[in-house]
Amino acid sequence: MLTVTAVLHSTDIGGLEVALSEAAGPEKDFFENDFTVIDIGHLSEDAVIDWKQLLALFRSCRLNPVLVRNAPQHMQEQILSNGLALDEIAAQPRIPPQPAAEVPQEPQPAPAPVQAPPVEVPAAPAVFVDTPVRSGQQVYAKNADLIITAVVNPGAEVIADGSIHVYAPLKGRAAAGASGNTQARIFTMSMEAELVSIAGVYSTNEAFAATVEKGLPTQIRLDGNKIRIKPVNGAM
Amino acid sequence: MARIIVITSGKGGVGKTTSSGSFASGLALRGHKTAVIDFDVGLRNLDLIMGCERRVVYDLVNVIHGEATLNQALIKDKNCENLFVLPASQTRDKDALTEEGVEQVLQGLIEMGFEYIVCDSPAGIEKGALMALTFADEAIVVTNPEISSVRDSDRILGIIQAKSKRAKEGGEPVKEHLLVTRYSPKRAEDGEMLPYQDVQEILRIPLLGVIPESDDVLTASNQGVPVIHMQDSDVSEAYKDVISRFLGKETPLRFTTYEKPGFFKRLLGGK
Repeated sequence: MLTVTAVLHSTDIGGLEVALSEAAGPEKDFFENDFTVIDIGHLSEDAVIDWKQLLALFRSCRLNPVLVRNAPQHMQEQILSNGLALDEIAAQPRIPPQPAAEVPQEPQPAPAPVQAPPVEVPAAPAVFVDTPVRSGQQVYAKNADLIITAVVNPGAEVIADGSIHVYAPLKGRAAAGASGNTQARIFTMSMEAELVSIAGVYSTNEAFAATVEKGLPTQIRLDGNKIRIKPVNGAM
Repeated sequence: MARIIVITSGKGGVGKTTSSGSFASGLALRGHKTAVIDFDVGLRNLDLIMGCERRVVYDLVNVIHGEATLNQALIKDKNCENLFVLPASQTRDKDALTEEGVEQVLQGLIEMGFEYIVCDSPAGIEKGALMALTFADEAIVVTNPEISSVRDSDRILGIIQAKSKRAKEGGEPVKEHLLVTRYSPKRAEDGEMLPYQDVQEILRIPLLGVIPESDDVLTASNQGVPVIHMQDSDVSEAYKDVISRFLGKETPLRFTTYEKPGFFKRLLGGK
């Protein structure tokens, strides 16, 4: 799952709303309840933030704020009372309070308060497998993605807490998000799986064979509590 | 440097023992001093294929238990100067095999100057099969062109990668070869049988050869002569090609395409 960082340059809710909708584009579900870090290090020390409104705005854009970074001392209690955590590691020097006259009144169109979502989670090293995974063999990538460059044969099982990539035919069983990550996905160059599962929700070959074309590059993800199996093509 | 080659498959009845007999004989015919060991303790068959069943005195388990020496147990083949057979015990079961014992036997054969030691594995993935593959340098995986055989071969390949001594100690892995047996080009063309290309596509190991389905195999085993010795037989020719490829000579595949019988052949009732 991605983690999004929102760096606030203004406390104006209206301006933020415009910026967020610009960042998300026309797609309604651009964000997928991604964990969001709110960085307020660029605001002046005496800025006043309406946390209730701010959180409601983020949630309406399918962002899930969990953490506030660079919060000044006096705001911390307020932040915690709103159910957010504090990032205590990042303690950058504060920008001194700006003169009131310079605080822009109008929503700024140019510098978008929300930057392109950088990945914030310290990336767990992926597990690589370069030899065929054969019948009866099992590969488990604990707390990591699993990247396989060879065939996964019938009767083989590949499991990851993260996502699974198979750059060859997937003919065995694949279980991504094995410890409950519903955002994990499975990718394969050729979909011939016996069974696919994400966060414990599974679909067997018999169930999907009629609707899924065999042998295509395919992405498998969890949508609510349904497994979605779609061919991957350049347009996606 | 001696090479230990296991002939294995997972599934039973695919032609491991037939292939072991002909492969070992083929190596010996090319002048290499070769031993072939039957690891199918309790279900001994190799002695029948090799036609030496009436000369068995001691067996593999006797040697492992120190009841006989290797020299006493090895049976000289009647067809090849350079070939010796080490039969399995019929009265024991696979638990009579121990890793240390098997290693000692193999070490003894290497010290006797054998160039190739062919291990005829029993079916299954239990102790007998494990003992046969543990010390292998190379593995010939015998597969029939049908899905259950292919899956079992896939399974045994995984076990070789996990349980062989080479795999456990790291370093160069066991060299794997695919041998497709009982192949009928016509049935493959008609879609009744997996084409050998599909078998290889699933298993993804180098193809050592394709042996055609033939009545000659049954005829040969009933006579107690490895089929490679048969004259004018496609199976014999195919096994000879396998030996050439194994010894590093590039040899094109034969007997893998179906040719419709011509008018005269049909008229004269050719096979």
